[in-house]
Amino acid sequence: MTRDETLERIRDIQVRVQELRQASDNPAIERTMQLLDLYCHMARWELGDVRAMIPEADARS
Amino acid sequence: MKLYKPEVEAQRFWNPYTQAMPRADLDRLHVRKLQTVIEYAYARSPMYRKLLDRHKVRPEQIRTMDDFIKRVPFIDKREILDAQAVRPPFGEALAISEDFFHQRFATSGSTGAPLHIPLTYHSAELWGESWVYVYWAAGLRARHSFYFPFNWGIFAAFWSAYMGVRRLGATVVSGGGLDSKARLRQIEQYRPDVMLATPTYALYLGETARGIGMDLAKTSISHVIVAGEPGGSIPATRQAIEDLWGAKCYELYGIAELGPTNPGCPLQGGVHLCEEWYHALVVDESGHTVPYGEVGEHIVTSYIQDGQPLIKYRTHDLVRWTDQPCGCGTTWLYYPGGVLGRTDHMIIVKGVNVYPSALEALLHRVAGLSEHYELYVDRDAANDFVTVKAEARSEIAEARYGDLGREAEAIFKSVVGVGIDVAVQKPGSLPRYELKAKRFFDHRPAAHRWQLGGRADA
Repeated sequence: MTRDETLERIRDIQVRVQELRQASDNPAIERTMQLLDLYCHMARWELGDVRAMIPEADARS
Repeated sequence: MKLYKPEVEAQRFWNPYTQAMPRADLDRLHVRKLQTVIEYAYARSPMYRKLLDRHKVRPEQIRTMDDFIKRVPFIDKREILDAQAVRPPFGEALAISEDFFHQRFATSGSTGAPLHIPLTYHSAELWGESWVYVYWAAGLRARHSFYFPFNWGIFAAFWSAYMGVRRLGATVVSGGGLDSKARLRQIEQYRPDVMLATPTYALYLGETARGIGMDLAKTSISHVIVAGEPGGSIPATRQAIEDLWGAKCYELYGIAELGPTNPGCPLQGGVHLCEEWYHALVVDESGHTVPYGEVGEHIVTSYIQDGQPLIKYRTHDLVRWTDQPCGCGTTWLYYPGGVLGRTDHMIIVKGVNVYPSALEALLHRVAGLSEHYELYVDRDAANDFVTVKAEARSEIAEARYGDLGREAEAIFKSVVGVGIDVAVQKPGSLPRYELKAKRFFDHRPAAHRWQLGGRADA
């Protein structure tokens, strides 16, 4: 898979994870989605797709 | 079933995307990362907002690497300590809610107040990842087990290496809470593949093993990874560790407040800058960037520290940097010989950093000693050792010299944590200097001395 294809999939997953994180009223699920969001963020940095220091501080987007 | 697919496990690099990136592309990516961390710090850290405002720098003005080099000020540990002192423990250096904290560390404070280090879960994951580069390059994978002869205290020390083992997906075997003999027995029992320690402790375990008739070269350890002090890139020390353990020795250079900045090169002659998560400059005494190939002070920006951002942080470590292609294949900057010295003198006794300035300050606690003293540093097979010659005050009777020396030794032991011999001298016996006094006498072999020009064998 190319870098661009990988990034496209990660961004798509991250949006869904963030939506679920917001929608969930279960602490265990919210925390798990927060970590998934973080790992998506890390994976994007690892492929040079730099947006913010942490997902919660997406100051540049 | 395997954790990594076989074709992935066979890859040379942990992240081929950045580890093999051409220099010009890496530098462009650095600019984007630097802009991001500067925006973040300016928006969230009162310390950075004040610092950048004082230098009339706005984040949006940093458009190029040249802007970053020329406009963004350096920051030193003293400024972080001052910002933390406003509202201890983190004060104005803090950039994130404590909700996000994962772990807290602190430095020893042997030169003054301890520096507090907040680590978020995000930072912890990336501290760990910075270690994975040296693990992966050394051929270590998820099937390997890592032994930590380390007491899990408040100092960052090998915590980040542990985070790295978790990130890699390998196994941790803890040697916490045990003495050296018990740790050696544990190595025999659990048969780990890798041992992580300071070079001094890796060698000290050899002395302990000899005492109980154990041959470390016959243990399961195939890799020793050293950190915390120079050694892994010093050929004589590395060879001694490899001979003792019958294992390959690699190193990682890190700084407590920044994390694991420089994973060792698999060819063992030095370290690379982890350009995924750090940016570095090397500057001369006037703060100008030195050309590749030259020695200067290592100035580091972290892309990891979201709790307490550090931008153009003065490490006081001396390194020689080069952008020449490395035989290991990465394009990341290479520092042959690792850390070459300190901008200040440093001594390491049994793994503990001992600063002459701290010893001077402690001598002043002994009322019967004058301000005249000298430090002598030497080295036995595995450790530095320090002798202090200190003059008594003229009103002190010579019969009390022994008591004064023991008083000073007790203070050193309780504050610094290691034994330092003190010889009390008659008043006027030490030389006087009109200008800068020479108080530091280094008799260690060249390979163990730190100096601006680099070690003789580096």
